[in-house]
Amino acid sequence: MDEPLLVATGVVCRFGGVRALDGVSISIAAGAVTGLIGPNGAGKTTLVNVLTGLVRPQEGRIHAAGVDITGLPPHRVAALGIARTFQNIRLYKAMSVLDNVIAGGHLHRRRAFPRALFPVGGSGALGDELRRDALALIGRVGLDPGVAGRPAGTLPYGDQRRLEIARALALRPRALVLDEPAAGMNAAEKSGLADLITGLAHQQHLGLLLIEHDIRFVTKVCRDVVVLDFGRCIARGTPERVAEAPAVAAAYIGTGSTGGARAGRNGHRLAVISEPGTAAPRFGGANPPSALLSVDGLHVAYGAIAAVRGVTLSLRDGEVVALLGANGAGKSTLLRTLSGLKRPTAGAARFDGLDLGRASPSAIVRRGLVQVPEGREILSRLTVRENLALGAWPRRPDSPGPRIRAVRRRRGELAAEVEGLLTRFPLLAQRADTPAGALSGGEQQILAIARALLAGPRLLMLDEPSLGLAPTLAAEVFDLVGEIAAGGVTVLLVEQNASAALDLADRAYVIEGGQIQKEGAATSLRRDPDVRAAYLGT
Amino acid sequence: MDVVQQLVNGVFLGSIYAVFAVGYTLVFGVLGVVNLAHSGVFMLAAAITYGLVAFHGAPLWLAAPAGLLAAAGLGLVIELGALRPLRRRQAPEIAPLISTIGLSLVFVALVEQSRGGGWLSFVWRDGANSVRFPAGTVPDRVWHVGRLAMPADKVATVVISVLLMAVLGVVVNRTQVGRAMRAVAENPRAACLLGIDVDRIVLWTVVASSAMAGLAGILYGVTIGDISPYIGRDQVELRGLAVIVLGGVGSIRGSIVAAYLLGMVEVLALLGFGANVRAAVAFAALFGMLVVRPGGLFASPAAERA
Amino acid sequence: MTFVTSLFTDPQGWYRAHQLLVGQMGVNALLAISIWVTLFAGQLTLANIGFMAIGGYTTVILAAHAHAPLVLSAGAGCALAAGTALMVGLPALRLRGVFLAIATIGFSEFLRFGLILNLPITGKGQGLANPAADPAAIWPVWASVAVAAWLGWRVKATRAGVAWAAIAEDEVAARSGGIDTTRYKLAAFMIGAVLAAWAGALDAHMNFFIDPAEYGFNRAAFVLVLAVVGGVATVVGPILGAIVLTALPEAVRAAASYRDVLFGTLLIAIVVFRPEGIVGRRRQSPVAGALRWPWTAPGPDDG
Repeated sequence: MDEPLLVATGVVCRFGGVRALDGVSISIAAGAVTGLIGPNGAGKTTLVNVLTGLVRPQEGRIHAAGVDITGLPPHRVAALGIARTFQNIRLYKAMSVLDNVIAGGHLHRRRAFPRALFPVGGSGALGDELRRDALALIGRVGLDPGVAGRPAGTLPYGDQRRLEIARALALRPRALVLDEPAAGMNAAEKSGLADLITGLAHQQHLGLLLIEHDIRFVTKVCRDVVVLDFGRCIARGTPERVAEAPAVAAAYIGTGSTGGARAGRNGHRLAVISEPGTAAPRFGGANPPSALLSVDGLHVAYGAIAAVRGVTLSLRDGEVVALLGANGAGKSTLLRTLSGLKRPTAGAARFDGLDLGRASPSAIVRRGLVQVPEGREILSRLTVRENLALGAWPRRPDSPGPRIRAVRRRRGELAAEVEGLLTRFPLLAQRADTPAGALSGGEQQILAIARALLAGPRLLMLDEPSLGLAPTLAAEVFDLVGEIAAGGVTVLLVEQNASAALDLADRAYVIEGGQIQKEGAATSLRRDPDVRAAYLGT
Repeated sequence: MDVVQQLVNGVFLGSIYAVFAVGYTLVFGVLGVVNLAHSGVFMLAAAITYGLVAFHGAPLWLAAPAGLLAAAGLGLVIELGALRPLRRRQAPEIAPLISTIGLSLVFVALVEQSRGGGWLSFVWRDGANSVRFPAGTVPDRVWHVGRLAMPADKVATVVISVLLMAVLGVVVNRTQVGRAMRAVAENPRAACLLGIDVDRIVLWTVVASSAMAGLAGILYGVTIGDISPYIGRDQVELRGLAVIVLGGVGSIRGSIVAAYLLGMVEVLALLGFGANVRAAVAFAALFGMLVVRPGGLFASPAAERA
Repeated sequence: MTFVTSLFTDPQGWYRAHQLLVGQMGVNALLAISIWVTLFAGQLTLANIGFMAIGGYTTVILAAHAHAPLVLSAGAGCALAAGTALMVGLPALRLRGVFLAIATIGFSEFLRFGLILNLPITGKGQGLANPAADPAAIWPVWASVAVAAWLGWRVKATRAGVAWAAIAEDEVAARSGGIDTTRYKLAAFMIGAVLAAWAGALDAHMNFFIDPAEYGFNRAAFVLVLAVVGGVATVVGPILGAIVLTALPEAVRAAASYRDVLFGTLLIAIVVFRPEGIVGRRRQSPVAGALRWPWTAPGPDDG
């Protein structure tokens, strides 16, 4: 009935000094869907990489149907009937949809080499059979067979995820690992996906492991759930029981207040507020003329994929504004565009009179719009001190011919400012001359913010500053942001940790599916039932 | 020829390789591009300096800086003509290899085809002709330390090279511009967000790198002597590759050490086995290093991956 | 321009006048295809000239010392090349991108400087005379090109072809999908080696004299250029590139003295304005480029 298809016991995985997985055990049973959840950075994808042979664990064993497969290379693991999809979608983007699925079926394809050389008669029949099977799989995952000839990279985001599943199914697996298959899908698509997954488990008797952030989806589809946090399993059981476990609540959702010791991390979406793409954005009135930053009907796309679809928002001088939304909602794309790294396809964005759609990234930073990007983007080979010093780059004089004495004076000033920052952040002072790559996530985040301060920003944009941080460090970060705001800097805070963000902010926007879904004062959004259900877990 | 003398010669040779390789590494580190026109600049700078001295009677102390300036100008041409347009169009990784090959061809052809009377004025046949700087261009002094003979020009080469490395070290490690270069080398997107004008940093890097190739060429021409359109291709192009790989890609310090090492190994091999083995040694080392330790001499062994 | 027009007005006369050139075009086409084979699997390798040298020298040595017929001596050359490719490929193919290219250059040059220029049997620096040379033996070359072209065209429909294309797109996904990437990369490398050796054998067969200078890095770079300028999306590209770029110097006789300047500029222009080559198709992936520059920001799945 429920033979375990894939069992991992006591897996320990270290990268450098970091324990990505610290003694994790998990099993996937045939005919059932097991959920794997946890905050970002908990080790879920690492576990999947270990299960599928992409990464070798330092300790622990993996067994597939009783056979020890620890340390086998990925293609051998696949040959044993274990298929997977990827968090970041690894389709063969320039190959057609059909060819992607055919490539997935590599192991089951007969070697018809001599016949395949002759297009007519020889490989004809074979080719037809191949196409038919592939088209069947394409239909099975809910894709329109008409797209079979298109390059996979031109499909919309949700369809690409489905194609990845079709490709994995072409392997005729017995176990299937899905890494965030529902990211970027709307409610209708998710429903279809849920049906597909349960069908695979119950009708085709596959064993599935599902990594997801959408807890409602997980509850609907999974028989049991494993929760990871910091590389350890902190809870397991049925979805209902797990949702009630206090450890899980603490990991995911916090009461998050600035200065509070119990600030939570990564408040994840628990439900969808509204259907992205179906409702017309309710807010889109003209931005106040006195706005420091104003974004009007901004559209940003990557080829055929629209990431930001008509966003309008504004910030006034001295405000703290939060932008809430989950992965795939378009937040980071928006920020990237505001910093000049990506050009919008339509609409406008202005900062202090500067047209952000046309200006170069360095001009934007010089004007005072500074971003602390998601993932920090610290220069790991430079020391902490050097990273800080680089923060002051935009304040270089424009003139290319500095006099020596002036240079020396400026260098002295810079050194003094860097020392000042190090005094303010003893955490950094201890590591002042070590390469920044050796710092922990939290220390790097503080470094990134301190570095941004040296640029003398008028508007500081922070993209997910608490991502992957332990609660105490996240609290420190939010404290710091609060201080910066109190010092007169305008702040745009992009966060999944809605609780902490709303505590800090004056106003907030909610972005989903590339559009603004809600807007208002932070206090009123805190009381908004939809926001509470989706972001605050109550 | 005794071993110690050869080692000393190796140091001279290594200095030239080092100046050349550091330029190569700079561009590879910052841009991720193997600039195959680098050797063309090496040759062209030597040729231009020679032309100025031999045909226009310029003294070396004027002609050499002119050659360096020309080399820097060539760097501008390389970046604006062969590299930047590719970045703008998001060309694949192979593309800069091809465009710099093309530029290298142009450089060599320009010298090959110069007609008599022109300011580059020499006509070459493949490998047959090469020229040397006129006697007296460089003082002929030879200093003797114990048994060792140290020609003044070669000592000057070493001194110049060492000075250059020192200056470069200061710039890269202690100045904002140097930090900006390292930032661009590591993560151009982060550098952008810091307000660094990536294009301008890249331009300066390529120009500086070309100036170094030019310096190496001029040093080569003056001290070792034979100048032909093919010295870039034959003498340094592939050895430069070997050095940057051995030293660890993007590591300036590594390239310097590897260059001197290679110089010394080569002259010792020459002593023992002859000219061809000397080159073979370089390539065997290149291949071996890539296979065993792709990160170069100073890297940690590659992490375990399934 | 008479070069081109006489091709149409008097084909036989043109052929008789340019036999050598046609032979060269064929050899270059084979070499370009040999590089294409590895590019198709996503690997940039520049060892073909080394394998060409193996093919050429083996053929001449066997012809001179053992009076072996072409088929046998060329076959021996190919076998030797395949074996060498296996030994070199196993360690080298773990490398990526430009490092693989550099390693293969290292191998080729080592072959030339270390072995060819030093062993008495290869005539050292003086080269080797080929007693069994037949300059008119052009048809084997073009017959080979035809066969190679056919195989190259059909390969996309085969299981191996799909595997290679997948490896070129995303090696991690390919491995996770059950494709033994090491084996396939090695296979592509060995096939390229055999093809290059075959080209070298046929080329040596047409010449009374072979010499090590022909097998240097410049030739390797030239072959790469042929393939890329032709376009690496299909096997037709390298063939076309070989034909056009081998003939170009002849066709543009007037500017002969600045021919290389023209050539180099043409190269830059093509790679900048039409990187997909003469017969290529623009890559249609919206998230373009493998460079890490800011302008190629990652896709929407980053939120």
